[in-house]
Amino acid sequence: MEFAAICTLLSTKLGDGVLELHEEGVEPWVDMKPDQIAAAAHLLRELPELDFNQLMCLSGIDWDGLDEKGKGKSVAILGYSADGKPETSDRVGEGDLGVAYHLYSHQHGHKFTLRVRVPRGAATLPSVAEIWPTGAWHEREAWDLVGIRFTGHPDLRRILLDDSWVGHPLRKDYQMPGRWDLAPLEGKPYSVNPHQKPMEPPPAGDADGSGGEG
Amino acid sequence: MATDDRNLSAATGWAEQDDVPEMPSELLEINMGPQHPATHGVLRLLIETDGEIVAKVTPHIGYLHRCAEKIAEGLNYKQWVVYTDRFDYLAPMCCNHAYVTAVERLLGVEMPDRVEYLRVIAAELSRIASHLIAIATFGLDMGAWTPLLYCFREREEILNLLERLSGGRMLYNYMIPGGVRFDVPEDGWCEDTRTFIDMLENKKIGDYNTLLSYNKIFIERTADIGVISREDAFAYGCTGPVLRGSGVQFDCRKDDPYSVYDQFEFEIPYGTGEQGTVGDCWDRYMVRVREVIQSCRIVRQALEKLPPGPIMSDQVKKVMRVGPGAAYTRVESAKGEMGHYLIADGGQKPFRNKVRSPSFCNLQILEKIGPGMMVSDLVATVGSLDIVLGEIDR
Amino acid sequence: MSTESTTPPAGYDPQREHMLDFDVDQQLQKVIDTEDKNFILTSLDEVFNWARLSSLWPVTFGLACCAIEMMACSATRYDIDRFGAGAFRASPRQADLMIVSGTVTAKMARRLKLIYDQMPEPKWVVAMGSCAIGGGPYFKYGYHVVKGVDLLVPVDVYIPGCPPRPEVLLDGLMRLQDKIRGRKGKFRPPKWVANYAKKIPYRK
Repeated sequence: MEFAAICTLLSTKLGDGVLELHEEGVEPWVDMKPDQIAAAAHLLRELPELDFNQLMCLSGIDWDGLDEKGKGKSVAILGYSADGKPETSDRVGEGDLGVAYHLYSHQHGHKFTLRVRVPRGAATLPSVAEIWPTGAWHEREAWDLVGIRFTGHPDLRRILLDDSWVGHPLRKDYQMPGRWDLAPLEGKPYSVNPHQKPMEPPPAGDADGSGGEG
Repeated sequence: MATDDRNLSAATGWAEQDDVPEMPSELLEINMGPQHPATHGVLRLLIETDGEIVAKVTPHIGYLHRCAEKIAEGLNYKQWVVYTDRFDYLAPMCCNHAYVTAVERLLGVEMPDRVEYLRVIAAELSRIASHLIAIATFGLDMGAWTPLLYCFREREEILNLLERLSGGRMLYNYMIPGGVRFDVPEDGWCEDTRTFIDMLENKKIGDYNTLLSYNKIFIERTADIGVISREDAFAYGCTGPVLRGSGVQFDCRKDDPYSVYDQFEFEIPYGTGEQGTVGDCWDRYMVRVREVIQSCRIVRQALEKLPPGPIMSDQVKKVMRVGPGAAYTRVESAKGEMGHYLIADGGQKPFRNKVRSPSFCNLQILEKIGPGMMVSDLVATVGSLDIVLGEIDR
Repeated sequence: MSTESTTPPAGYDPQREHMLDFDVDQQLQKVIDTEDKNFILTSLDEVFNWARLSSLWPVTFGLACCAIEMMACSATRYDIDRFGAGAFRASPRQADLMIVSGTVTAKMARRLKLIYDQMPEPKWVVAMGSCAIGGGPYFKYGYHVVKGVDLLVPVDVYIPGCPPRPEVLLDGLMRLQDKIRGRKGKFRPPKWVANYAKKIPYRK
């Protein structure tokens, strides 16, 4: 099925105004509210006309720093100054976090892209690991590197970094460690980040809270 | 003795022979890795065993997490090609190909024909090299040392060819967004490649089959072991030889064509359960052996058709600004579907680059099929999945 | 030298007299006669070191890309067995050489130290590739990469390259052998070895 047909079918099942279509660009996609994502995922998997049986990719994204007009806005990640000192800044991220789901149907050979945005302060999404088991590790990675929680996940732990790691490195305001000459034998010195507080667990059920925490 | 543990071994048929009544027993936790010769890198498997039977497998990854996605946000598009080499360091050309395909799709430029053909030749040679390593190390896991020596001999030939083409022995940095770095060398490279391909296809593959594939001991160790059903393979996102070993005839080169793969004739080998069940270790292994032959066919056709022309596109500027836009682009790497979800903001650096690596998804199925098999079969299964930790952890 | 002795020392074998016909053994003979036995100790060291450098057993410890070159080094074309270092041991307890072949990450650091601690003395470490030397291409923005394995364990030989070719690894191995032998720079056989080789009867 074509992208437009899939969207029409989804809209009839989910109700109007749920999907926000973006058909421009290389790859058309659909924006969706976080509270609808579980129902949409079920439909996408179960409906025989759609039958998306493979979750190709699940990406966690920090949208902070992206200029919507898309003109030359560079990403504020920290590097090194000319004399080799690590650059530090106390910039705090503001933008939303997000997740992109890329689906493929082996039966019909069509693809679909679904995007969802959650506010930075309450980054919680329902898990799709029940529907596509491959999502389990992708969600763990999104939690590990971007810091999005997934409710209903069977085993939401950090996957790539140590359990004692502080912060989520793929956030745009992640502070690089100040010094590199220590070896992290205890699992600590690289991970301890003096600028960043550990993330508070979000209040339950508050999926679409009011904006970022600033 | 907990009854559910006993049920586990009863279900697998091993319970009767060592069932001692009133004998207390408990599950034993074994830590396999991160330094272990059978884990193909720094993979750590936490295994709970009931005697010789595996009750639970938990893969722990991240021991080679090299922050490539964070680095991508700090470097420009051409600089980051270097890091794609180091994802799947057994088939670096395929990873290069995945990345440049993604960038060029966002750029919306068409490459000259010669570029695409050179890329296909390089990627297929790299795929052969990767599969040779897979055959070699799988044989090594099964206790056969000799195939390793044979396969490395042929791999060295491929590395020589690619070194003459690109200048690097193992990691090439050959393809860049907008073209390839070097043209074919003038010293008879095409003829040498053709000679090698003929030699590999006509003679060496037969050697491997005699030596390993149809070896009785090898078949005993791999047939009916680690069976992945079709539904499980879909659900866990398996791709590449793992999916094809389960009897699914799916290949991005055919079903979602990129580059110029639609201009070549080749087949997609898939598992048929020739020695046992569809989707066992032997099927996955044999898919790789047969794919080597198909890759040889593609290289031969590409060498015949290799068109003249420039090796760099003139539409790509030196200072490259991409986007704005976002796209998920996938290619068939040696291990499976390698995808880049590239978000560009119109600047010189990508905004976000999520890499979907095939081994990351293929490894996940171990949690599903691991329970119930013996520890030595687990080694066979890990070997047949052919994982590379560089792209799992990125 | 003290007084002249008329009786031969203990263990003196007249059959081997022709073999003692060069400088080192004559000096050795003189020293045996004296009280000072220190020289014998250093000489034994030389024998031990020769044995050690001729049979370096690396631990099977592949980390990343460089591990493939390490495998290629032990396989057909390069054949590290020629240098006595081909017996890759799965257990660190049986090994005396650790080739750190690849990127060391923060998560791996403790395990690497543990493996190093498990190896029996004497032990040597080779840092293979630019990642193990100092972070390599993952230095900048590499929040999870240890910037050089020498922050964790003492390193004897650094082999540059990304990844180093097998020839370079073999060269690094030979430099390590030189180091174990106690000599810096290019290896020259000691004089007494050359003399000894000349005096072996069947080589005449």
